[in-house]
Amino acid sequence: MVSDDVLRTHLQELRRGTVVVASLVALRRPDYGYALLQRLTGHGFPVDANTLYPLLRRLEEQGLLTSEWNTEESRPRKFYRTSESGEQLLRRLLDDLAAVQTSLTTLIEGAPR
Amino acid sequence: MTSLTDRYLAATLRSVPTGRREEIATELRASIGDMIDDRTAAGQDAGAAEREVLTELGDPAQLAARYADRRLQLIGPTYYLAWQRLLILLLSIVPAIAGVAVGVVQATVSDNPAGAIGSGVSVAFNVAVQIAFWVTLVFAVLERLGTPLDLPDWSVDQLPDHPVERDVTLTDVCASIVFLVLLIAFLPWQQFQSVIGPDGERLPILDPALWGFWLPLLLVVLLASIGLEIAKYRARRWTWPLVGVNAVLNLAFAVPAIWLLANDRLLNPEFVARFAWLRDGGLDTVARISIVVIVAVTIWDIVDSAVKARRSAR
Repeated sequence: MVSDDVLRTHLQELRRGTVVVASLVALRRPDYGYALLQRLTGHGFPVDANTLYPLLRRLEEQGLLTSEWNTEESRPRKFYRTSESGEQLLRRLLDDLAAVQTSLTTLIEGAPR
Repeated sequence: MTSLTDRYLAATLRSVPTGRREEIATELRASIGDMIDDRTAAGQDAGAAEREVLTELGDPAQLAARYADRRLQLIGPTYYLAWQRLLILLLSIVPAIAGVAVGVVQATVSDNPAGAIGSGVSVAFNVAVQIAFWVTLVFAVLERLGTPLDLPDWSVDQLPDHPVERDVTLTDVCASIVFLVLLIAFLPWQQFQSVIGPDGERLPILDPALWGFWLPLLLVVLLASIGLEIAKYRARRWTWPLVGVNAVLNLAFAVPAIWLLANDRLLNPEFVARFAWLRDGGLDTVARISIVVIVAVTIWDIVDSAVKARRSAR
């Protein structure tokens, strides 16, 4: 039986990069921090607020997201959107994710049981 | 009155680069507000919701580190091995040299051997602490600055010639040397420093007459044993000549010690007279147990070295 600790760390490792992919996909439609967090959680990507907010800023600094302040609502909100270079990176990441899935599938099917 | 959120923001922004502080503050405040609203809309009390949200965001210092993309470590994997190797190298050489140098100088200028050993040990300790501190500080600064070390890449040519099957580890050797040094230090210490009796009287434990020949002999044997430990470490394993020298040194220590014990010549008669149970037959028990222990340790050590030499010769 695998211990809970071991399971948790491996799941964490496996999930780590997927938050970036999911954010880049989700932000094809502009959104602000907390709304994005809820959308991601709703789609099965639970992510901590203290991870996501700094991540969004980092992706912006890397030019993968653009941002725009919306001051029309009750409180000023920063809306992020996937940039052109973010889109390019995302396509590479999605290809790679698919490749990993394919490799795994062939490995599972090809593996002697 | 400042709200919890204000205090949280202030604590977070303190360690975020100044240029981005304002913007992060506005965004984080809005995000916290959104999170609180979400909870109050679900019927939760505003104060409790605020506490819960801030607790979820966690330690402000950690959040700030994530914003600043700062790693929370003193010395990361880039520098760790270089730090560790340099530290081990320096610690294994410099404190010993400094300690021995100071101890020898002290011993020549004063006639207090125990004091000389004491100051040697204390200098060695201080030097070790200083080395550890400064080396670590320099590497921690390098880590913060992200300075490239430009060390040559590892290559297969750096592999040791022989498989590093060390039978003799540095830890073992250090432990043995420390033990020997303590034993050496004990001989002059018991002569001058051991305090016996309520009025702070100083009385040697071992018979002072032994300084005529036997104790200097034991000192020489112990010093030679330190030399043997070093030679053993440099040879990486037990060799037959080392086994021979080890056996000779062991016997050179054990035989006189046992002979002195068996003839009641080891302990200072005045010292024995001080303790009733030693006088009344306890001395025999002590001598008998000591002899058994010395014989056992000596035989074990000689056999062990021979077994290891035989194993590594194969």
